[in-house]
Amino acid sequence: MEFLEMNANQIAAGSAVKHKGEIERVVLPNGIVLLMAENHTLPMISMSAMVRFGSRYEAEEQAGLATLLGDMLDEGTPTRTAQEIALATEEVGARLSSFGGYSHSGVGLVCLTEDFPGLLALATEMLTQSTLPEDRFTMRRERVLAQLKSREDEPRAVAADAFAELIYGTHPAHRPSLGYPHTVAGLTRDQLVAAYQRFFVPNNSIFAVVGDFSRRELQAQIEAAFANWQPDPAFSLPEVPTVERQTEPREKIIFKEKEQIQVYLGHLGIQRSNPDFYPLLVMDTILGSSPGMTSRIPRILRDEQGLAYTTFSSITSSAGIDPGRFTAYIGTSPANREKAIRGLRAEIERITTEPVSQEELDIAKSYLTGSFVFNFETNAQVAGFLVEAEVFHLGFDYLETYPEFIRQVTVDDVTRVARQYLDPVNLTTVIVGPVKE
Amino acid sequence: MSSPQPASHDGFSALTRNVRRTHLPNGLTILTKEVHTHPIVAAMIWYRVGSRNEELGHTGKSHFLEHMMFKGTERLGKGEIDLLTQIRGGRNNAFTWLDFTAYYFTFASDRWEMALEIEADRIRNTSFAPEEFESEKQVIIEELQMGLDSPFELLENEVWATAFRQHPYHSPTVGWLQDVQGVTVEDMKRYYDQWYQPRNATVVLVGDFETEQAITRVTELFGHLPAGPEPPAMKIVEPPQRGEKRVIVKKITPVERLMIAYHAPEIAHPDSYALHVASMLFSHGRTSRLYQRLQEKDQSVTMAYASYNEHIDPSLFYIQAEIKSGHTLAAVEQAIYEEIDRLATEPIPEAELKKAKRQIEAMYVLGNEDVLNQATLLGEYETTANRPELPEEERGYRYLDAYLHRTREVTTAEVQRVMRTYLHPDHRTVGYLVNDPKES
Repeated sequence: MEFLEMNANQIAAGSAVKHKGEIERVVLPNGIVLLMAENHTLPMISMSAMVRFGSRYEAEEQAGLATLLGDMLDEGTPTRTAQEIALATEEVGARLSSFGGYSHSGVGLVCLTEDFPGLLALATEMLTQSTLPEDRFTMRRERVLAQLKSREDEPRAVAADAFAELIYGTHPAHRPSLGYPHTVAGLTRDQLVAAYQRFFVPNNSIFAVVGDFSRRELQAQIEAAFANWQPDPAFSLPEVPTVERQTEPREKIIFKEKEQIQVYLGHLGIQRSNPDFYPLLVMDTILGSSPGMTSRIPRILRDEQGLAYTTFSSITSSAGIDPGRFTAYIGTSPANREKAIRGLRAEIERITTEPVSQEELDIAKSYLTGSFVFNFETNAQVAGFLVEAEVFHLGFDYLETYPEFIRQVTVDDVTRVARQYLDPVNLTTVIVGPVKE
Repeated sequence: MSSPQPASHDGFSALTRNVRRTHLPNGLTILTKEVHTHPIVAAMIWYRVGSRNEELGHTGKSHFLEHMMFKGTERLGKGEIDLLTQIRGGRNNAFTWLDFTAYYFTFASDRWEMALEIEADRIRNTSFAPEEFESEKQVIIEELQMGLDSPFELLENEVWATAFRQHPYHSPTVGWLQDVQGVTVEDMKRYYDQWYQPRNATVVLVGDFETEQAITRVTELFGHLPAGPEPPAMKIVEPPQRGEKRVIVKKITPVERLMIAYHAPEIAHPDSYALHVASMLFSHGRTSRLYQRLQEKDQSVTMAYASYNEHIDPSLFYIQAEIKSGHTLAAVEQAIYEEIDRLATEPIPEAELKKAKRQIEAMYVLGNEDVLNQATLLGEYETTANRPELPEEERGYRYLDAYLHRTREVTTAEVQRVMRTYLHPDHRTVGYLVNDPKES
């Protein structure tokens, strides 16, 4: 078979990615940034409408506020009860959901084209006139408290939370997005209303709409729907403190009666805007985050040593407005603890000291350029990309520039960024499970 | 509703229109569907074998075999399947369950045929090197342990094992620990030779390719292979359950959990459509009955969910719930029975029934934008919907249209009848996952 003779260099040119519709960015009179891409393949529309607000901007003593507020946007408007909002969505089989995240909160909608006008009206009310009723607030707060309790039963979540706490110190990223039981219990409806009034303003919002519409008509529809949403000329986002990478090892061990131990190893990562993002993406692909068992950590720890079902590492996947985390993870039997940690550390160290091979580099680059097309298959994926391009100034020609960024990466780049951004000595280690000291 | 029409007057839905089914003389089935919206092809191969086909003491073999299929063939070394995929910017993986095992690739459309070359090789040439086998056994044991750390998975294992005392649906697909520990290369090779054969496989291609060329290529690569042995018939029929069964699982947990399971019919059974509608009425969305009762009114759970997945043999209709502190398993269980009774006896408002049916239809359109999802749906129905009672034009992937059509016709009376027939106290198995502080 001919594939056995092919080598990486012959096929390193990735396939071209083309988005069929043109992307358009307009700023509406009240300040909404509207991003649009037409796609007429199916009679459906995806919309992602969000404001810059999330747990990043909440006070420590109000941890969990943004998640709860995001959850509650669909709990009532002046014209509709929570039940009526749910029914309007479900009777047409659409998906309409509200959310509060780390840096953005808002509303997501996926529906058939014919149902869009009615659901846009609903989404508009949720973003601009949510009433956040007191009785619903009390109920939702109780539910978050129950979710927090359920989370204690997920060892991997417990480990991830402890890992973030150790890495971020007092920076807002140290907090779990759901908050803590004691802060959630203390939240009040007035605090939610205050945050809603302050942050949910048009000049703090980005809308991305992708699907079966004409751009001119859609813009007119959105402009009309949000005509009464008044901008706040004095609006500014709160300052967020910076965070420094640790200069000494840190460790935390939490006992849980489980079959496996969950191990997180790592330290502070990078921002999405970092120009070294692309060489780091190539490094991630070589070290621990390509699919299958091709990158070093899964290949060696899982495929060769049989230590785990799941093991990986990444520094780019959590890169955002703030520095993300460099994370190496393994879930394994307690008996493998020393061997697994030693294995992860050895691979982190090796990539900072030895150059990767030209073949590994070519394969990683080939994968990254060739698989890029899969990120733009659904309307919701394209809408997500439009928001990302806007927030991180990627440029709407990113489909053309991205492969170029990847192609330029060299062996020396990978070694340089591995040395600069990975620190195999000063690591945070978190272990959760049936741990015996 | 004007769109989506799940199955239009010609009987084809958007998903099944333009699908072509080809049979090679050796029994291999090929399903092709051109979709040219993105330069992507999803290529899958489905084998009609899963944990359903495993014997007592040999559970977990389908799953173990799925892992071994990535460990190399006589031509491809260990890791090369992943490497070849990665070099070409593709993705691949596999999954297995009660009735099937499937492998998939997605590639850009100028290089997708690599997927066929790999599948045509590993369908018969997989190597079972003893050292690879032993190391993968450790990985699978880790996977099994990981599952035991998931409270619902632990509870599900016990409930299925209790509800089915004879039929192989008794065992989890990952297998029982001792069986996995004891399996040998010879066992695995025998199993592979029995089931991984053209007559037991379906190649599914969806995406940006040209049909004639694709079929020619599949024929070149698979056509020369012998059909393989006749698959042995599965003769075990689970006897009727005569009275409620209960099982309690003790574990240190801050949150108690409940599962109530009822024996329910196999795929394409005339009663299955109404049971699907019932599961939507119970738990799809915030206006559903369990959500309204348990989350809104009683505020006794963090989640409650009804599920009815159809399988080749009769399986389970079940409801799961996670209980909030301050509430009891028994009270939530009772509330669920009240909702079952209410659905079985009180008239169902027409608007509510219509909503449930529309939700089923919309799921098929909104959830199948990408070619891999489309290929998966076609492959699953082609593999499982093969009851001889079905008319020829409704078998395999064509059952999807029959299903959507019949679901639209379901009436209140039918929903009530199947609730009374199947969700009967004598046919249920109730599982409690309770906190056991003694363990600590």
